[in-house]
Amino acid sequence: MFYHKRLIEFGQLTLSICGIIAVWWIVAGSGAISQDLFPTPALVFWAAVELYQDGVLISDLKVSMTRAGIGFSIGATLGILIGLLTARVSIISIALEPLLTLLRPIPAIALVPIAIVWFGIGEGSKYFVISYTVFLAVWLNTHSGAKQVAGTYIKASRSLGASRFREFFEVIIPASAPHIVVGLRLGAALAFLSLVAAELSGASAGIGFRLQDARQYIRTDRMFVGLIELGLLGAALDMVFVSISNRLVHWENA
Amino acid sequence: MNAKVHNDSHLSDIGRIDIEGLSIEFKSPDGGIVHALAKTDLVIEAGSFVSLIGPSGCGKSTLLNAVAGFVQAATGSIKLDGIEVNGINPDVGVVFQQYALFPWFSALGNVEFALKRFSLSKAERRDRAMAALKEVELEGRENMFPGQLSGGMRQRVALARTFVSEPKVYLMDEPFGALDAQTRIVMHDILLRVWEAHKATVLFVTHDVDEALILSDKAHIMSSGPGRIIETIEIDTERPRRVDAIDQDFITNRNRIIGLLRKPSE
Repeated sequence: MFYHKRLIEFGQLTLSICGIIAVWWIVAGSGAISQDLFPTPALVFWAAVELYQDGVLISDLKVSMTRAGIGFSIGATLGILIGLLTARVSIISIALEPLLTLLRPIPAIALVPIAIVWFGIGEGSKYFVISYTVFLAVWLNTHSGAKQVAGTYIKASRSLGASRFREFFEVIIPASAPHIVVGLRLGAALAFLSLVAAELSGASAGIGFRLQDARQYIRTDRMFVGLIELGLLGAALDMVFVSISNRLVHWENA
Repeated sequence: MNAKVHNDSHLSDIGRIDIEGLSIEFKSPDGGIVHALAKTDLVIEAGSFVSLIGPSGCGKSTLLNAVAGFVQAATGSIKLDGIEVNGINPDVGVVFQQYALFPWFSALGNVEFALKRFSLSKAERRDRAMAALKEVELEGRENMFPGQLSGGMRQRVALARTFVSEPKVYLMDEPFGALDAQTRIVMHDILLRVWEAHKATVLFVTHDVDEALILSDKAHIMSSGPGRIIETIEIDTERPRRVDAIDQDFITNRNRIIGLLRKPSE
């Protein structure tokens, strides 16, 4: 029964993708738009093969994934830690909340110039921009989750004789976990956005750099390769996240 | 273990609550003061089963929350076996209306949570938690999570989690309010069995008169504006009691309580 449903879902997905490619092909192949500006799927496919043979397709992927991974790890760790603290420790909340509220509306792209001045055009500035974006998303969700922990859980925990330490690890953290997981998922998506923002200026490898590089030679086919890579990577990552988080906070969908 | 316990023989010498001149006030959102509980004196005998009955706003939950240490007294004192209750205290166990089970722990994990404050070995902790679950007839369900259990089963886990650490007092705030009538009858049997086996004092909040009459030794009838106890009724009906075998005493008490609850307050 379950397997059957999966099969139907897979069929629908395949059909939908084939449909999109077909429409794309018809529009690009109609001659209404120059193929230099809007390449057909075949041209994009061959551009990908070419990039693969040059060795840059895989190396760009590795570079970008590493940046996103490291930036995400730093941002997510800090976001969870500080989010738990700002939600549950009033001194830290008073000290940090206004600052974080001010930082929140600043988009990642706006940080690229200052990051380059501070950390140079090397990896440091990329990690900074990515981890900053991830941090804000994870902090915000962790904070609101840990702030809303139901009073009855706390009362129950204390009247069962739990220490504050045990209350934090066995009650506050699991009770906030569903929100933390949402923050991490959002953070993963944002890591990709800010990755490209960081790579568009001052990088010598990576998917973002390759997009910028292709622009210099007006290689729209290569640009499409980069865009599709980003789309596929992001979607795959999200799927992995959803399945991990369903297992992690299994009681949420019980 | 012991022969079936009847009437007053369950009274023990631990778990006596002395409430003297207790009053409780809340700040209302508009800055005024709400008198949730007017000055109240009350003695709850060790090992007795006492109910608080009354309409919403009569202060029955407030009184229970004060004994639990969840709310501060404006005046007066609460003593448990002669020792003043200051804040939350694991000698006083609480069973909440909304269960308050931790959904991220299994049934076993929830019960074990209550045992972690003792320095027990892992095996010992597990054995005691398993024994408690067995007592509430949840053998074989220990690895299920609260979300997979019915309302009645959840409340049985909550009960096991409370009595497993042998508190002197169980505070129960409308614990069976959300359950259907049949499940409630089963829960009453389980609760009485646990109470008799563990010799604790029970303070039970309800608005169900029959529930109070089936369970308690004594029922305090409360009224609102301000919250206070207006009448105390001793329930002498022989135990074990059954809802399907009620006697004249039961009916007399029932009529009297409902009559009191009907009287408009003020």
